[in-house]
Amino acid sequence: MTERSRLTKQQLLELARQHQIRGRSRMTKAELIEALDAIDATGPIDTVDEVGQALPPQAEPSSDPKARRAALAARLDSFVDHTKTCNWRSVEGHPCGLPAIAEQDRCSLHGGIDIADVAVPAVGRLGFDTWPALLRHIWLASYDVDPIGLDPAVAEMFWHLANYLYFDYFRVEVEGIENLPVKGPALLTANHGGAALPYDAVMLSLAILNEMPVPRRARVTGTEIFNATPTVSHFYRKIGGVYASRADTAYLLDRGHLVGVFPEGVRAFQKPFSQAYQVQRFGRGGFVTMAERHGAPVIPVAIVGSDEVHPALFSSQILARLVRLVWPAQRVEEMAVYLNLIPLPIRWRIRFLKPIAPSHVGTDPDPLEMLERTEAIRSLIQSNLTEMLAQRGSAI
Amino acid sequence: MQRILVTGAATWTGGHLIRKLENDPGTEVLAIDEVPPRVDFQSEVFEFQLDHPDFAHFILDTQPDAIVHLQTVDRSALLGGRRAHDEAVVGAQALFGAVHRCDCVKHVIVKSDACVYGMGPRNPSVVFEDAALDGTRGRYAKDLKALEDYIVSTARSRPDVMFTVLRFAPIFGAAVRNPLSRYLRLPLVPTRLGYDPRLQLISEHDAVRALEHALASPVAGAFNVAAPGQLFLSRILRLGHRVAQPLPRRAYDIAVKGMSRADLHLPTHIKRLVHHGLITDTRRMREVLGFEPTHNLRQTILAGYGLLPDRSADV
Repeated sequence: MTERSRLTKQQLLELARQHQIRGRSRMTKAELIEALDAIDATGPIDTVDEVGQALPPQAEPSSDPKARRAALAARLDSFVDHTKTCNWRSVEGHPCGLPAIAEQDRCSLHGGIDIADVAVPAVGRLGFDTWPALLRHIWLASYDVDPIGLDPAVAEMFWHLANYLYFDYFRVEVEGIENLPVKGPALLTANHGGAALPYDAVMLSLAILNEMPVPRRARVTGTEIFNATPTVSHFYRKIGGVYASRADTAYLLDRGHLVGVFPEGVRAFQKPFSQAYQVQRFGRGGFVTMAERHGAPVIPVAIVGSDEVHPALFSSQILARLVRLVWPAQRVEEMAVYLNLIPLPIRWRIRFLKPIAPSHVGTDPDPLEMLERTEAIRSLIQSNLTEMLAQRGSAI
Repeated sequence: MQRILVTGAATWTGGHLIRKLENDPGTEVLAIDEVPPRVDFQSEVFEFQLDHPDFAHFILDTQPDAIVHLQTVDRSALLGGRRAHDEAVVGAQALFGAVHRCDCVKHVIVKSDACVYGMGPRNPSVVFEDAALDGTRGRYAKDLKALEDYIVSTARSRPDVMFTVLRFAPIFGAAVRNPLSRYLRLPLVPTRLGYDPRLQLISEHDAVRALEHALASPVAGAFNVAAPGQLFLSRILRLGHRVAQPLPRRAYDIAVKGMSRADLHLPTHIKRLVHHGLITDTRRMREVLGFEPTHNLRQTILAGYGLLPDRSADV
């Protein structure tokens, strides 16, 4: 692998640690590359034994946004039956007017499908021409929202808008989408990018919506800062966000939904640009314990792109103090200052790794084992990031 | 002959519950309250202040089979804050003290409120019955927490008595006059700018039915009671053809003060509710208590605004 020559020695050491190469600390850069290439020649091996994980085979991602949009449109259209309309009627007698879900009497807004899990556009496609129908139903308040606050119509409009970022601006390429379950719970664990806005959370959920055969919703968690910030407080819930708490994660996993977590949390926002793609400590590993307790597999996700969208110049405590002065609800310790206001057009890559099945369902997990597993998942994501960066070539 | 003691008989819910209980010839109702009832019923109203020992002795003398404790509503607007607090907490002490000593009481039903879970940015999105009770914000939530603590300690000392706690979502309807119903029915509703809370409601008729159901088929434990479904405040107001006026914090506080002058006092728990919202899980209500509300949330809202011509309408 010639790409390895582009890596720094630090990154090579990390890879060598993953492959458990002995005597790696004494090796030179060239020797490390040689040792790693030798492992490649002997075929794929389990990189992390205790997790039972092998690196997935490299899929050939198609990069033409037009073809990808067409494939998505065809897939979404197959869920609705355009010959039949939804039989819902408002109390004043207004008809629904939306097409019904295939083999159902109702459209996706009025109970044709479990909106908390599967996102089927109400009209069967995304587009500005569908907005009047959606806005009419929002105005009539004709449908129920999810207990956590997911609003299918608002989420659909957001999906449509954010797809311009996804396909045309960030040109997200996805690998390993087949590792996601079509049904049932899973906990997606991803590295968090140091951007001013959580672009990675949006791109992660869009990758699942756009690429999976069944467009499932990944409910991504956010801290209580989201709840305490005006406008964000309800908007992030309407587009499918969840408050990052044990109760909410348990609620969703028990009901068989996909939950996305960023265990690094705010730490990812405070790291300087020199530490880009260095995965920080994974909180206290609560997510592994949650997955164990609720019998959900953990799916590690490596995201390349999020750390370069807003390069942080420096991180300031004084600025954070000023923010707290104006806005006491915010509990920020450090505040990063970013180079740019408009996100940079970085080429993104998202890789879903093989699911790690819960080992002992029903029993209380061993704390030390959970800690080891957390670290194993962290270093697995780190090694995948290092590899993906080497393969990517130009960032733009 | 079953003898049922109902406190808070003057409330709309209490009055309607007593009317329903009177239909059964095998039931004798002892109605307790200190203010004139809002709904007419036949049974005699015994005027007691709950925090007075006379009330406890009345229970010991009359030997009721079941007690329905409804005087847990927020009466601070009617009686003043301190008096309402005494009524709620010392009244509960007297009531549960009497239950502790009396051998006749088999079943106690207490009307609590979902606001005991507390509301805020750190609350879970969906609250279950086993969640810790908060009771740190607002006098009413504190009183309810104290009340539920009495229930727990009395239940421990009297395992033979069945305690049913119904934690109601805000009761909404055209006839009830609680602060939230009156607030939601204003023609122009001031709301917090940037906040759109998720709310659950229960219709006034379903609240009475839930109490009746809990009396008829007793199950011990705490239950969240709410109509199926949840909506954002802005959608609720739109369903009722009301205009929401989002205001920044200062302006909102002034508007709330203005409403208070105009005889619509919003207590802390209601202010926090329309700021942060509260959703409870009602699976236990349906599966363990076996109660099914007749109105879903949409029907509850439309009925409360007088816009529901036919209850069977599919909304």
